[in-house]
Parts: sequence; C-alpha cells; structure tokens
Amino acid sequence: MLRARAISKRFGAIRALEAVDFEAAPGEIHALLGENGAGKTTLMRILAGGLRPDAGAVTLDAVALRPGSPQAALRASVAAVHQSPMLFERLTWEENLALGGGTRTATAAHERAARLGFELPAPRTLVEDCALAERVRLELMLALSFEPRVLILDEPTGVLAPSEVTAFLALLRALRGQDRIVILVTHKLAEALAVADRVTVLRRGRLMASVAASQTSEAELARLMIGELPPAAAAPSSAPAAGGPPLELVDLTLDDRGRRILDRVALAVAPGEVVGIAGVEGNGQAELVEILAGAHKFTSGQVRAAGLAVIPQDRDLDGLVLTLAVWENLMLSRPLMKRFSRAGWLRRTAAIRFAGELIERFSIRAPDAHLPAGALSGGNRQRLAVARALADAPRAIVAHNPCRGLDLAATAEVCRLLAGFAAGGGAVLLISSDLDELLALSTRMYVMSAGRLRALGASEREPARLGVLMAGKWT
Amino acid sequence: MLEAFLFSTISMATPILLAALGELIVERSGVLNIGIEGAMLCGAFFALAAAYFGHSLLLGLLCGIAAGVAINALLAAMVVNLAVNQVVAGTALDILALGVSGVFYRRFFGVTGRAFTITPMPRIALGPLARLPIVGPALFDRDALVYLAFGLVPVVAWLVSRTRLGLRLRAVGERPEAADALGVNVFAWRWTALIVSGVLTGLAGAYLTLAYADTFIEGISAGRGFVALAVVILGRWNAWGLLAASILFGAAMALQFGLQALGTALPYQLFLALPYALTVMVLAGVGGHARPPSALGEPYSRA
Amino acid sequence: MSAAGATRRRASLAIVAALLKPIAALAAAFALVAIILLGLGASPILVLAALVEGAFGNWLACTETIVKATPLVFTGLAIAVAFEGALWNIGAEGQLIMGALVAGAIGPMLGGWAHPIAVTAILAGGFAGGAMWGALAGWLKSARNVNEVISTLMLNFVAQQILSWAVHGPLIEPARAYPKSAPIAAAAELQLYFPPSRLNLGMALAAVLAVASFALLYRTTIGLQLRALGRNPRASRFFGLRIGWLTVGAMALSGGLAGLGGGVQVAAITHRLYESLSPGWGFEAIAVALLARLNPLGVVPCAILFGALDNGSQAMQRAAGVSPVLVQVIQALVILILLAFDAGLFAARRRESGAASTLAGAGFEEARDA
Repeated sequence: MLRARAISKRFGAIRALEAVDFEAAPGEIHALLGENGAGKTTLMRILAGGLRPDAGAVTLDAVALRPGSPQAALRASVAAVHQSPMLFERLTWEENLALGGGTRTATAAHERAARLGFELPAPRTLVEDCALAERVRLELMLALSFEPRVLILDEPTGVLAPSEVTAFLALLRALRGQDRIVILVTHKLAEALAVADRVTVLRRGRLMASVAASQTSEAELARLMIGELPPAAAAPSSAPAAGGPPLELVDLTLDDRGRRILDRVALAVAPGEVVGIAGVEGNGQAELVEILAGAHKFTSGQVRAAGLAVIPQDRDLDGLVLTLAVWENLMLSRPLMKRFSRAGWLRRTAAIRFAGELIERFSIRAPDAHLPAGALSGGNRQRLAVARALADAPRAIVAHNPCRGLDLAATAEVCRLLAGFAAGGGAVLLISSDLDELLALSTRMYVMSAGRLRALGASEREPARLGVLMAGKWT
Repeated sequence: MLEAFLFSTISMATPILLAALGELIVERSGVLNIGIEGAMLCGAFFALAAAYFGHSLLLGLLCGIAAGVAINALLAAMVVNLAVNQVVAGTALDILALGVSGVFYRRFFGVTGRAFTITPMPRIALGPLARLPIVGPALFDRDALVYLAFGLVPVVAWLVSRTRLGLRLRAVGERPEAADALGVNVFAWRWTALIVSGVLTGLAGAYLTLAYADTFIEGISAGRGFVALAVVILGRWNAWGLLAASILFGAAMALQFGLQALGTALPYQLFLALPYALTVMVLAGVGGHARPPSALGEPYSRA
Repeated sequence: MSAAGATRRRASLAIVAALLKPIAALAAAFALVAIILLGLGASPILVLAALVEGAFGNWLACTETIVKATPLVFTGLAIAVAFEGALWNIGAEGQLIMGALVAGAIGPMLGGWAHPIAVTAILAGGFAGGAMWGALAGWLKSARNVNEVISTLMLNFVAQQILSWAVHGPLIEPARAYPKSAPIAAAAELQLYFPPSRLNLGMALAAVLAVASFALLYRTTIGLQLRALGRNPRASRFFGLRIGWLTVGAMALSGGLAGLGGGVQVAAITHRLYESLSPGWGFEAIAVALLARLNPLGVVPCAILFGALDNGSQAMQRAAGVSPVLVQVIQALVILILLAFDAGLFAARRRESGAASTLAGAGFEEARDA
C-alpha cells in the first residue's frame, strides 16, 4: 500500500500542492488526473523521491520513504518513467539500459524487450537519435529493470502514435499483476478510464476526488478536472484596422535536424481578437513563441508583425533577469529601453518613476522598484512580465502559458489584463496547454499538434472533443 | 637529428599526455579543471624538493603525487561540495600554486637559485626495441614515466568507453540529475575523478623536474597544464585522440630546439608561441563540432 | 518608518552587508597565511609589520604603493567589466602586454609632437593594442564558438612571445646591447611628480576610468544589456539583444582597459619595453575585482590594498626572509574564501544564467533545452 498523507509543496509563492492525500493499493492501476499545472508532476516527483515535500509524508507498506532521495526510492522499489524521458541522450541505448538493474547485458535487454513486446532500436544508436516513442519504451524498460513495487508513469502516451497507445495500455494492464502498484499520471481522460482501476483528480494543487474508475464517467471527470466552463469571450467589437492585421503568420515552417517542428502554420489575429492555440506541450508551441520573439530562425514562410510584445512561458528562465532590479527588468524591453534612454544614457530617474507607475497600475506587490525581480513572488513576477509587455502600448501580444503556476487570484488578474488589452483594440495570441484560460479568453481557437494548426469549430469547444483533438486525432 | 627531434617530441609530450589523461577523466565527470596548471606546478616542485632532501626519487614521485592530489582535493571541495564557479576556483588554485611553490622554493633554496639538481630518473631500455634506428632511443629507451604515460592511453580508453565504471563516470558528466536518480553518486564520482587526476597531474609535474629538467625554476610548468586542457578538447574527449594531440603539441614544442640547431632566421619565439597559437587556431576550426560531456562545467547541487 | 526612510535604512544596511564579506574574506586569508608562516618558521607579526611599514611607512612608500596599485586598477576594471557579462577573461595579462607593446612601439616616434598630444597618442595606442587582443578572443567566442577561458589563456603566452621577439628584434634599442626597446620620446612621457617619488597621472586616469566604467555598467543601455547577458543569456535571446556584438565589444573594452594599464606603465615608469613586463597583474586583477564584488568603484580601494601588499612584500623579504610571492598566496586565498562565502550567491547567479557560464552552454554549442 502506497500512502501519501497531507502532502504540501510550494515553489516560492506558488502553491503546487496543498494537503493532498493519495493512496494506491497493490495490484491496481491508479490514474492521477489533472490539467497542466494541477500538481500531478509535482506529486509524482515527490512519490518517486526526486522532490522533498514541505509537509506530509509518503509511506510504502507503512515504512516511511526518505523524502528527497531518489536512491532511497530506488532501494524501496519505486521507479518512475518521466514525462520528458530521463535518459542520457549522448549515450547509446545499450549503455542507458546497462545502468539499470536487470538489463545490464545486451542479451538481457533483448530478452526483456521480447517479453514486453517491444522492438529495440538499431544497435549502438544514441538515445538522442531515437524517436520519442522509443525513448519512452527505453525508460520503461529501465524502470522495470529495477523490479519495482511501485511504477509511476508520467504522461507516457503523449508521444505515442494512436495505434501504439492501445498496445501500450494493454501492456500496462499486464504489468499490474504480481502485487505491483502502477500509477499513471495523465490528463487524458479516455485512456485513464480505459485502463485504470481507481482515479484521483487534482485541480490547482488540491485533491478533488478519488473514485473507482467503474463508478465515474468521462463527463464527470472532466468536470472535476476543469470545473464549470466559463462562457466564451465576446466577439471583437471593432472592425479590422487598416494596414492589415497586427499579427499574421503565413505558412510558417521550421525544420530542425530532419524533424519538422512547425508545418505551414498560418493564422491572422485582428485587433480586439484573442486567438487561442490549445495543445499539449512539445508540439511546436515553444519554438513558435521563440520565432515570434525573434530568438529563433525559421525555415520558410512569413511573420508579419508590428509592435509585438512577447510574454514567454518560463518567466524565470526566459522572461526576467532575477538578480536585476524590477525597474531594470522593465527596461529590457526594446521599446521601453528606447523611450527611457537618450543616446545610450539611461534616464534613470524617469525610468524608476515609470516603474513605480506600472507597479501601481498593475498592482504588482513590490515595495519599491529597486528590489531584485527575484524577490517578488511568482504571481507578481508574472504581473511584471505582463506589465512590461503592455507598457508601451503594443499592437499585439503573444502570451505563452501566462497563468502557469499562478494561484486563482493572480490567474484571474492576468486574464483580466489580457482581455482588457483585447477590448481596447489590441490583438492577443494566446498559446496555452491550460484549457481553463483558453476557453475563458479566446474568441477564436485552434488546436496545435505535431507542428500543425487546426481551427476549432464552435461546436467543438468542449473538454472531451478538445481532448481528442489535442491528442492529434484530427480525422 | 631527426632522432633528437623525436626524442624531444616525446619529452615534451609526456607531461602533457599525463595531465591530459587525468583531465579527460575529470571532464568526463562533468568538471572543468582550470587549476590543472597549478597541480602540475606543485607536483613539480614538491617532487624535486622531496627527492633532493630525501635522496630518493621514489619519495620524490610520491610527494609529487601528494601535491597534485592536494590541489585537486581543494578544487573538489570548492566545486563539488560548494558548487562554486569552476573557472574562477581553478584560476585561484593556479595563483595559489605559483605562490606556494615560490615561497617554499625561496625559503629552502634562497633567491640566488643555488641550483638544486638531482640525478634524473634513470632510463630503462626496452631490449632490442631500443636499438631500432631513429625511433629506438626516442621511444624505447626512456624513463618509467614515459612508458607509464603512453601505456595508460589504452587503459584509460578501455576503462572510460568499455567498462561499467566508465559508463557511470560518463553518466555523471552527461546528466548528473539522471545519474543521481539511478543511484550513481555524483559527488563521489567527481571527487574520485579529481583525485585520480591529481595523481596523474602530480606525476606530470614530477616528470618535469625529476626526468626532464633535473631542477626547478619558478613557473616551470609554463602553461603545459593549459595545453593539456586544449589537448582534451582537440582529442574530442577520447584517449586515443588525446594521444595524437599530445604528440602534435610535443612536436610543436620540440621544434624550437630542432630549428635552433638548423640555424634558421626564424625567431625562436615563434616556436615557443606555436603550441599556444596552434591551440587557438585548431579550436577555432574545430569549435563548432566539439561535443563535450553535456554537463561539463555546470556546478551540480541536489534539489 | 516612512517608505523613503525604510529605503535609506535598507540601503545603508546593504552597504554594511556588502562590505562585510570582503573584510571577512581578507581577515580569513590573513589568518591562513599566518598559519603558513608559522609553519615556515617565520613570525606572522613580523611579516605583517614589515608589510605595513613597507607599504605605508613613509611618504615615498605611500607613493610607491599608489604606483604599484595603478596597473591593478586598469586590469581590475578589465576583469570587472568582462565578468559582469559572464565573459571569463583570464587574458588580462596578455592584453596588458599588447597594450604596452603598441605604446612602446609608437612612443619613440612621438618626438616632434606637443606633449598633451603625444601622451594621448601613446595611451590611445596602449588602449588599442589591448582592445585588439581582447576583441580577438571575443570574436573567437562569438563567431567560432571558442571558449574564452582557453583562448585568453593561450593568447597570454602568445603575447609574451611577441613581446620577447619585439625587444630582441624589430624594436631593439639602437645600441643593440640589451633586449630592450628604444626609449619613448620625452614628449610622450607621463610626468613624475615630487621626485624621487614616481607618482604620476596614471592613478588619476585610472580613477576616472573607474567612474566611467561604473557609469557604463549601471547608467547606460549597453551596460544594462551586458549585465543581463551575463546573468541570463537565455532570456537575452528573448529581449532581442545582439549577443555577438555585445560579446566582442565587451571583450574589446576589457582588453583595452588592460592594455591602457600597460600603456601607462610604459609612459610613466619604464619608458621602454623590456622582456619582462608584468609580475602577474592580469591574474592579481581577478582577486582585486572579486574583492571589489565586480563594482568598478570598489576596484580602486581594492587595487590600492593589493598594491600595498605588493609594495610591502619587498620589505617583508628583507625583514622576515619570506619570499614576496607570498602575496600571491594571499591573492589566491582571498578568491577562494570569497567564492566559498558566495556559494549561495554564485549558485543563484549560475542557476539563473543556466549553462552560460560553462563550456557546454556558451562555448561549444547552443544551450540545450532545459
């Protein structure tokens, strides 16, 4: 019996998990459901020993698991398959498996693969040259080589082709035997119901429900995961401005190392519109945002944008410089830097005063503009990033997962700001894996899968249909 | 004359090769050791001091090893346990080595540099091979450290690429958090790599004073440690590549003597500068294609 | 407490906290050195007394301390500017040499010029020589992906050999008796004040440049961009910063500052080139810059401190029989102790900048996706 009691975890001021209880019994497949940012991966990492919770404890068969120690977890027979396979990319797959338990020799590996019904890559292939689906299988083999009592899989089917998914789910069912606990972390309702015995739903770091799979339905689970659907945003009030749409992509394509990352992406955002792109992470969204920010080259197509501000998804890594002051971070935006400098000389007092005004206007809780950005809480940092984007009255904004990791109040705030910007005639391109914010804000929607865009019909704006489309099944 | 050139090439290549082999192991574990120059210098000084006062070459070798290990251990404490900036820490150790070796040198031997020479390490002729024309004396009639250096190449190559030991070392240098998750202790491996490298670098320094120069002058290492860093990159983090690169640099360094004998009009400084300039030029050509261990130089702390 | 008052109080606390670490590091370094001295059979008290006496004992000693500190200000500024951009310039030594070389080469030709112009020319030459050498390393990094640590280290040795060749060859004095260059024209010499002291305008120039460097880093857009690049190169891509230009420019400025230090040495003190120029100012500068927490204004007092150590070390040798290179041990210990103290701070900086401060991230290939 794997028990987690009252698990809480904060990252700075972001409450990833709050007093979550979780229980899984041997011989069962337990699905851990939730939207992106619900806390599933955090909980999984705590269960696997990779992360130390702030409160609460995990026990396996009433024996406490030492928190924050992957070695202890391994010794206790807890193994994990990560969402982004935790393999050594520059080593061959044989070498990766050799670091495992029972797959140290090539023969042992082939034997195991045969038993699992897997096909192994060509000999001596580097993991980085293996397809993502192969990597998932390799990591699964690695995890199984430790003969774990608890096997945790984080979004394993995300990169599998629809045909492979059925076989994979059947495999999971086979693994369940022998007293083993299988935990499947996923946001895919249909799959969870197809294979799990019990289902636990998380939403925004809280436990919503834990039920037997036979006693629930997709619709109910969707409701628990997403909550009530907010009404669709109002259509744009103003006519398209002269001079073309503020943001237009024409057949944008990106190829990298033989893989097609973006495939003839085309869209146009008119003033007052919020165009949402839904999709699971890893289908080209990050690269699209980088291209729009001018940080990445593209292979062919056109980007037509004037007065574009970008809010990248990882504010700490890509958006802000945490050790620089708040006002200095604001100055990093090109239009602002131009506005508050003269011949290269920073107009410091004016800039600091402007920072103060922005702090007021956007309710950023920062005592003064000299504090390093890192001293602000997550929500306030995001407000800062949004403030910077909006400060110089751009014509269009691209926001990538703007509400990720924010609590309800901050999320509502950011959504309000974006909606307000659109209402004032701005154009918003909202790229997100969070259906909540997409459905609340978007006037028009697309789904992105494997670098391709597909427009969403009005009737398709509901969770189950969206789930199917986001999984790439577009027929 | 070619014989003399070959002889010099091997003399120059040996300490670089030894240090580079050690650095290879360290970099494979993900640590960039700029302090390698300091370890070599301390190895050189303390080896000579011990050999001189202790009247024993063996004692000298052991002390050289100890000095190299001590410097590397200090680096390990800083960059593995404290996870500080590896470049700055390494540079500090280079300065420290200059200071410590200088202070102790002048304390023991006075500023006049009253030469404290020792009888150099004896040569060991490898039987009939030593009598081969041209290559015989250069390759097969050398002291033990030369044989050790070249003999270690296949050993290191095999250990790093073909054993489980080497696999775990490489895992640590590729993705420490994944290695940790699989039960491979990143800290322990990096410490071990640095200690082993300390032994090899200390021996490299000992070679300079005990076999090559028979005496000590301040700064005797003259950047050879840094050249070893370049050799690791040029050799693409592969022991055989290291061997080739070391010989290349050894030859470049040996040229200065050869050409003086030829009496060319080219200034000798050109040849002294050649290895260093060569490093930069080759790196500029190779730069885009070099593939170091993925986690090289990144300090690692457990979450 | 009013908001303004709270800010002022926070600011003064910050200053105290900022000074605490360097002072503690110095104290710890001296303590360790005392132990080494005891091990060598020398008296730490005697040594310290000799150091202080040698550095500040009389007027001449004080001026000489300033003279010895001057090159350290230039090279310290060079390091501070480069390190702020996460450009690990270990080549200040070579850049200083190249600056001195150019200054020493054009110096003899400035005879017919008016004094202010000649001095400006010789110093400009110094700056140019160092800037070229630094820009070379910067270009190698941005265009050819060559890690600047290795390239600047190698270029140190190359510069040394170029200098050696120059004083033995093309620049050798007319008498050809000794490997040194012809003396620079009298018009190009920096005047010495209060003979026999060697006090000159070099330190004044250095102090002005310290203020200018501070202004550049903290009051201009370029300085802000450089600091952002040094702390978070990933985000810098999103800001549209021109990373290549910033890299080359920062390295050129850094090299130029070091080169200027070399030029001042030639113009004021040596008046010609010799084979041996710098006793390691380029490396000592790292200790100076770190002790000053990379703040250009702090470089001046820290340089004077290390200059005092350098100056006093001769007296230390006479009085206590300890080699002057002991100060190098002090330098190294200061760096190591500061690094240890900062183990938290540098960790934050490193986590922030991702892989930028490393070979893998910045030297050889694009930063891998986290």
